[in-house]
Amino acid sequence: MSSQPLSDDILPPSLLARLERMELVSRKIFRGRMKGERKSRRKGQSVEFADFRNYVAGDDLRFIDWNLYARLDKMFLKLFLEEEDLHFYALIDDSPSMQFGDPTKFRFAKQLAASLAYVGLCRADRVRVESLSSTVRDRAPVLRGRASRMRLVDQMNKMQPGEPISLEQGVKNFCLRNGGKGILVLISDLMDKQGYETALRYLLAQEMDTYVIQVLAPEEIDPDLHGDLRLIDSEDADAAEITVSRPLLEKYRRTLSAFVDGAKEYCTRRGMTYLMSSSDRSVEDLVAGYLRQRGLVR
Amino acid sequence: MDYFNPILSPWPWIVAGLALPAIVALYFLKLRRKPVEVPSTYLWSRTIEDLHVNSLWQRLRQSLLLFLQLLVILLVLLAFLRPGVMGTKLLESRVIILLDNSASMSAEDVSPSRLDAAKDRALEIVEKLGPSDVAMVIAYSDEAQVVQEYTDNRSLLRQKIQAIEPTQRPSRLDEALRAASGLANPGRSSADATDVQTAEAKPAELFIVSDGGVAAVPDFAVGNLNPKFLQVGAEEASNVGILAFSAERNVEKPQQFQIYGRLGNFSLEEKSVEASLYLDDLLIDARRATVPPGEEGDVVFDMDLTDGRPPEGTLKLSLAPEGRDDLALDNVAYAALNPARKARVLFVTPGNGPWELALTTDAVAEIADVEIGAPALLETKEHHLAADEGRYDLILYDRVSPVRPPQANTFYIASLPPGEQWNAGELEGPPILVDSDRAHPVMYLIDALTNIAVAEARTIEGPQGARTLLEADIGPVMQVAPRGGFEDVVLGFSFYDQGQGGETLVNTDWPRKLSFPIFVQNLVGYLGGSRGALVANSVRPGESTTVRVDVPADRIEVVNPANEVTPVERRGEASFIYPFTERTGVYGIRLPGKEVQRRFAVNLFDPRESDLTPSELKIGGGEAIAASADWTPARNEWWKWVVLACLGLVIFEWWVYNRRVYL
Repeated sequence: MSSQPLSDDILPPSLLARLERMELVSRKIFRGRMKGERKSRRKGQSVEFADFRNYVAGDDLRFIDWNLYARLDKMFLKLFLEEEDLHFYALIDDSPSMQFGDPTKFRFAKQLAASLAYVGLCRADRVRVESLSSTVRDRAPVLRGRASRMRLVDQMNKMQPGEPISLEQGVKNFCLRNGGKGILVLISDLMDKQGYETALRYLLAQEMDTYVIQVLAPEEIDPDLHGDLRLIDSEDADAAEITVSRPLLEKYRRTLSAFVDGAKEYCTRRGMTYLMSSSDRSVEDLVAGYLRQRGLVR
Repeated sequence: MDYFNPILSPWPWIVAGLALPAIVALYFLKLRRKPVEVPSTYLWSRTIEDLHVNSLWQRLRQSLLLFLQLLVILLVLLAFLRPGVMGTKLLESRVIILLDNSASMSAEDVSPSRLDAAKDRALEIVEKLGPSDVAMVIAYSDEAQVVQEYTDNRSLLRQKIQAIEPTQRPSRLDEALRAASGLANPGRSSADATDVQTAEAKPAELFIVSDGGVAAVPDFAVGNLNPKFLQVGAEEASNVGILAFSAERNVEKPQQFQIYGRLGNFSLEEKSVEASLYLDDLLIDARRATVPPGEEGDVVFDMDLTDGRPPEGTLKLSLAPEGRDDLALDNVAYAALNPARKARVLFVTPGNGPWELALTTDAVAEIADVEIGAPALLETKEHHLAADEGRYDLILYDRVSPVRPPQANTFYIASLPPGEQWNAGELEGPPILVDSDRAHPVMYLIDALTNIAVAEARTIEGPQGARTLLEADIGPVMQVAPRGGFEDVVLGFSFYDQGQGGETLVNTDWPRKLSFPIFVQNLVGYLGGSRGALVANSVRPGESTTVRVDVPADRIEVVNPANEVTPVERRGEASFIYPFTERTGVYGIRLPGKEVQRRFAVNLFDPRESDLTPSELKIGGGEAIAASADWTPARNEWWKWVVLACLGLVIFEWWVYNRRVYL
């Protein structure tokens, strides 16, 4: 299989082994379309006991706990946990600005998306990984079940940086294509001259459980620049002339810090989870460590 | 002297001139920037966004750099011009500073004192030292002290100059000059200008910082020294000082004690002073005296002695001048009154009843211990030793003479002192006594000597300065004459004579007269020294003095006015030498740990120190060195400072360049 080396690259066995033990967690209650392996917060029919409640007229007599009635002479209804499936979407920013860093931000984003998607596959969730520049024509398939791993890897490998598209437009397209509720992980550098706020507002309207993971290249976090430079934007060829000096670099760092803090505050206020990561960070650590703490996986 | 010294070659000028348009041209050329692709200029644009807001300031900053660079180039050009100002400098690279710290330098006519003013002048000299110049500092009063050897360490020089302490000594310039000359003219005695130099001469600038109150030094060869006199002190200094202070028994009235102070007025106006006399810090008398300007005056106190004994302790004369008085040091004088000591008297006689009787009366025993010995005693070794050591205060020789004069006052009866200074005439008689010198203490209260009968007598002719005490018709028969620190009295007739058959012949009936025991008592009292030694001589500050105690001892202690005790060891001689008389006041002498036995006083008593009027200085050949306030004119180079300013500007420009943040 020609994609085998790449598959190993994106989802190495050691990572797979860890991911198989995890599951995606949603903070919101979503009604799944099919029965899944997921314990829903909704009570329903399953073998797993959840709670009692008082009997009210009209309740299904099959669920009355007769043993308890014999003891207390009161009727209680047994409640069971419902098991259902979950929609998991990963949206990768594939604009040219993601092509920077070593490994590139784009590759980091793909690997992170693949990892989270695999967690979903293992728990029989509905998984869809898309990029911002995806159109209705080449929309990605919905994957389900562990067996779909190779299809996922294949899709990831095929995914290439696309045309420059604004974050707002990309997210809008995504929302039009996918109406369902579920967990959405947006992996982007948020570097959009029109701002990220409108884009995130679309996701908010979608009532998804949204995670925003901002990926920045090390050269963006701590630029290693010297001298009199003409900086050229990789997306719109905009130019900025700078003379690098210590005060300027300090000012850049302050601006970056303000930008990151602003995004974090914007997300937190609107119930989204924000996370910033450098592209040279290990995906395994990020998923197993940080995202676990933040409650996306467990 | 040219104060701008342009470089002759035109090339540096052309290069420097091109620099200005080059800088301006560089500012017109746009900076070529290196293109770099970045993920997004989003953050960069935001970073430099607010800098656009104050872009006017950015432009100013840019032109500030231009301005700074132009300024640097202009300063470099200015440095090329070698700017300088008319300044002063020291001619030689070696400088000797003679700083006067004698008593008069404590005067406060310039604030805070003359010494401080002198130090300021000396520090000025140090400031003017060139980078490779060396300087030496000598502080002098009556002795020269090299405070700092030649050094180019200015902070050390400053520190040493500041540390110079005032002394109460008189000033003598010659020793300081010799010290300076020894270092400036090595291998040559400064007194003899014809001496061959054995080492390379080192010319030096000699700065004498003084008020000029020193004696002229006429026999000093200046040699390589270039003396300059820097005078300190105000022109119209005002001072009244004590020039002498003594206390003694009134010669005419022994029951009176006379205290005498001599005052000098060194001001330009008449001064009225109140003189207070203290005995052991107890005010006993006060006088007012008026001294005309530039002259001297006296204050005299009479003290009646109630029990006939002179007082003991410390006499202090303190002046309170009206108006300004710039030198406080000479307003106080001290005199030490020591307890009367019994005179040690030796009477050498072959046998003389009336004298032996008169020397053993109670009145004499009160003032003297008398030993009587036979002429054979003079031959003994012990006597020679005792006489040479000065064990006796008075030796009376009856018809005998010693081999050499003893270290004591002497009285010779019908004999002559050894040596050829005294002569006696032929034996004549009977002489008629016609006159006696009643003013002399020995003849005090002796009248009616004319009724004394004398069989035979010789005329006495003493050395120069002899004073006739008793005169007969044949000539002087008793004379007194000084001999070193002692006095010899010679009487020309004997009391008893040895007849031819060995019988004793009476020569005079004086022992039967009332005047005889009085004469003996006067003689012992005066020559025995119990009156004369009452007031110890005053010592000048810095002089070493001989001190003695009544009891023999190998070690004594001297207590100075600050109550500090200095042990003094005997150095082989009969007396102790005490050199540490730095402060004026009364010094006590005592056996270790015992009560103070005797005292001596240290006083300034120097009209030259008390005279605060600045005077000129004469060194070598008698030409006066005028007080020069000015330094040698010289060119003070400034280009170093200009270059330093350039460097500072370049650093500032670099800082501005690195601070700038703009598109």
